[in-house]
Amino acid sequence: MIKNYFKIALRNLLKNKGYALINIGGLALGMALVLLISLWVYDELTFDKSHDNYDGIAQVMSRKTRNGKNVIRYSLPYPLGSELRANYGENFKHVVMSSFHGDNVISMDDKKLSRHGGFMESGALSLFSLDMIYGDWDALNDPNSIVLSQSTANSFFGADNPLGKTMKINNKLNVSVTGVYKDIAHNATLNQLDFIVPWELYAMSYPWVKAARDTNQWDNNSYQLFVQIAEGKNMISVSNNIKKVIFNNIPEYGKRDKPELVLHPMKNWHLRSDWKDGVNVGGFIQYVWLFGVVGLFVLLLACINFMNLSTAQSEKRAKEVGIRKTVGSSRYQLINQFLSESFLVVLAAFILAIGLVFLVMPLFNQLSDKQIVFPFNSVTFWIISVVFIIITSLLAGSYPALYLSSFRPVKVLKGTFKTGQSTTSFRKALVVVQFTVSVILVIGTIAVEKQIDYSKNRPIGYDMNSLIMVQKTTQDYDGKYNMLRNELINSGAVLEMAESSSPLTDVWSTTGGFEWEGKSPDFITNIATISISHDYGKTVGWDVVDGRDFSRTFATDSTAFVFNETAIKYMGLENPVGKIIRWNNQEHQVIGVVKDIIAVSPFEPVLPTVYTIKYANTNWIELKLNPEKSAGVSLAGVKAVLSKHAPHVPFKYEFVDDTFAEKFEAIERIGKLSTIFAFFAIFISCLGLFGLASFMAELRTKEIGVRKVVGASVFNLWQLLSKDFVKLAVLAIIVATPLAYYGVTKWLNNYTYQTEVSWWIFVIAGIGALGITLLTVSFQAIKVAATNPIKSLRTE
Amino acid sequence: MILQLKNIFKWVNSGGNRVFLLNDIDFTVNEGEFISIMGPSGSGKTTLLNVIGMLDDFNEGEYTFLDEPVHTLKEKHRARLYKEYIGFVFQAYHLIDELTVYENIETPLLYKKHSSSERKAMVADMLDRFNIVGKKDLFPSQLSGGQQQLVGIARALVSSPKLILADEPTGNLNSTQGEEIMQLFKKLNDEGVTIIQVTHSETNATYGSRTIHLKDGLIVNN
Repeated sequence: MIKNYFKIALRNLLKNKGYALINIGGLALGMALVLLISLWVYDELTFDKSHDNYDGIAQVMSRKTRNGKNVIRYSLPYPLGSELRANYGENFKHVVMSSFHGDNVISMDDKKLSRHGGFMESGALSLFSLDMIYGDWDALNDPNSIVLSQSTANSFFGADNPLGKTMKINNKLNVSVTGVYKDIAHNATLNQLDFIVPWELYAMSYPWVKAARDTNQWDNNSYQLFVQIAEGKNMISVSNNIKKVIFNNIPEYGKRDKPELVLHPMKNWHLRSDWKDGVNVGGFIQYVWLFGVVGLFVLLLACINFMNLSTAQSEKRAKEVGIRKTVGSSRYQLINQFLSESFLVVLAAFILAIGLVFLVMPLFNQLSDKQIVFPFNSVTFWIISVVFIIITSLLAGSYPALYLSSFRPVKVLKGTFKTGQSTTSFRKALVVVQFTVSVILVIGTIAVEKQIDYSKNRPIGYDMNSLIMVQKTTQDYDGKYNMLRNELINSGAVLEMAESSSPLTDVWSTTGGFEWEGKSPDFITNIATISISHDYGKTVGWDVVDGRDFSRTFATDSTAFVFNETAIKYMGLENPVGKIIRWNNQEHQVIGVVKDIIAVSPFEPVLPTVYTIKYANTNWIELKLNPEKSAGVSLAGVKAVLSKHAPHVPFKYEFVDDTFAEKFEAIERIGKLSTIFAFFAIFISCLGLFGLASFMAELRTKEIGVRKVVGASVFNLWQLLSKDFVKLAVLAIIVATPLAYYGVTKWLNNYTYQTEVSWWIFVIAGIGALGITLLTVSFQAIKVAATNPIKSLRTE
Repeated sequence: MILQLKNIFKWVNSGGNRVFLLNDIDFTVNEGEFISIMGPSGSGKTTLLNVIGMLDDFNEGEYTFLDEPVHTLKEKHRARLYKEYIGFVFQAYHLIDELTVYENIETPLLYKKHSSSERKAMVADMLDRFNIVGKKDLFPSQLSGGQQQLVGIARALVSSPKLILADEPTGNLNSTQGEEIMQLFKKLNDEGVTIIQVTHSETNATYGSRTIHLKDGLIVNN
């Protein structure tokens, strides 16, 4: 019986190749998209889950109250770790202090590489359950040790066992390799962790860390803290238990911020990393769900096509149904037959979809910045796939099966059978749904692109052309500023050089304690503080709007302040130039105001910022390359000079515009993904529309024949047949507009600097939808209208 | 007695008027009969045949088929009855275009509990009997009208029904083909199959043992 069903299904498909192509192809596209999205969603939802203690790990954060607003900080004071261990130990299995991870130079003999890593307490290996290839979880117990990731170990030692080998960090500290761990999964926060060195080494290598340790600095927040809560404890209670620890220990002035500790569980690190007023409010998870829903919608669109086309075929199949019923088939058996047919189609589509996914996987990974591998050998995947195929078969096949099997043999065999108006309107409704979804996606995509465009066009406040940054990871350049600058400029490779404490594309420190005449005593200041060299302004090309830039001709400039415009507004200063600001028990004169420089986020307001001259504090070198030479030549020149002064440091630079562009990566990824989705949705909807148009044209063959005989032109008929579909498209646009408006407005609220939701977005999407509708429908309409009417009238 | 119709009425409402398709039909068919139903277009011949074949409902009256009161039976039960005992032959053959001759004849058996080897034997028997073994892998479109109707009859007979209902079985055929088909019906009737045919042709009606004339849903003579 089943064999018979499949046989007839197959013959039907082969007989109606165009129909089969639209049906299987459309469904395959929909399924491929759902597969991709599912794999992506799975990858996102399992972020960080490669750590065995996923459920128990948290990062400790501090919530502070500043001017009535709560802010969340990752940075914590040095003594917090030992305090938690000593007095709150029963709450934790592990308490691991850590430096902020960054690029460091690791070297062995002449080989030097820049690698990402940090200083961590020895519990880290066990806390993060790193998969040790050499050594064990005690590998960090010796203060002069280093633990490497497999790929880092490979780049130094190949396949050899590196245990016991001596290496150097930042060209200064000798450490010996005591462990190698498997690279951390791609979808993990710590994915980039290339090496770990013991916490004790941190204080030994940096005087400011040593000072923080030795003088028990509770008010210097420069470190991170990871914990694993003890068995049987829960995050909320532990979080409450340790809430007051900083407050109880910090010097009196710090209590004004009302610091509170908060646990940020690992499961929220990636997907719920946004904080608003000190409360964790979600984050990327909204896109995960959004894209998940979109994926389901696209599948639904494909299923709707299947239903539509199957029922459109009903007249062809009606006779078969009638015959089968008269020779004894029950309705139930017919339902089974049509369901097995849909199963066959879905199965074919699924196989095609897997092929498609396999093909586009590399491209998709690139677009989404993932390393998803198709799970061919996962049993769970195949089980889910089977369930997925069955559900899709039922979803797509149930309506046609119920509808087709309901035909009365007397009617259909008499030859007078015509599909009723009711199924036509059902079909029309389905097409409206398809177009509504497509139009919403198109509007969403345009809005994302517009937002990207808007924030990219925001004035950045400096000139990033030919501007590169080099991080000073070692102390080789300290005290050599003038020498370096002269050599670089004389080499002709650069026009100007400067140094700064924060990179141009970030703010590394903000401080408080600024006082000035007329300041309200309740106002707790918090201003981004950037130490720079005299030539910073000239190098980056900032825009002085009031007063003047720093200058070597004024010795007093060593204590002078240059503010950005936001800082002036923030402090409420009028005629700021010449005013005296007290900070750290010192008086500073405001000498100038510069235009805001977008350092952190192109979507958020610029931080109030103060620039001061402090050569000793700088971490970054900024270089303006000579635009008259090619970048390659200039870079070689820069490398020659820098390597001369620090032969052990690998030359690593970044173009400021590239680094700045990275700030758009997340939103651009969203833009790309939504473009793909919108494209698929439109394409699948068009297939559906095409199917419906052919069906409607067929339904009206006689009417068209009669009209032609009485003198209608092809153009008249085209109008007649297209009119209905234009109505459907307009209806879809009307339904989609408010929904899209709501969604887009809500999404834009994620950004402080947001583009307007202009009316033209809707007009473009609307005209696009109409145009595509006409194009799709016209093909059928003209074909039918051009048919010789004798053909269509003969049968009557 | 194979079936009996008693005071059967069937009507449709058209513009407030009741139009009778079948008007007080009284009619008994005995086993082994070969009945021809004649009448002008629209007289209700096909409707009567469909009512007898349980493909169509009626509004009033009693219909007994093999001692089962059809008018009180549920759809499912009725379907079982006609599946078991009735074979249909149509003017337009109504073969399934996507199935071969062999598969078309096999179709009714699929809806009954026959094993695959049983089906093979029964279909082979039919092919043999109608001399169409050589055509078993052809599709309907590759056959002449007469051959298609032959397949249609073979399909109707394959499950050994007690009653064959034929709606103008020769209507689409030329006279030679038509005569062949009528000879076949005659032969089947001689073998004991009860046949009711609807026909326009006086010649074809003469093959039957009895003719019923219908006009406007009424039996005008019996």
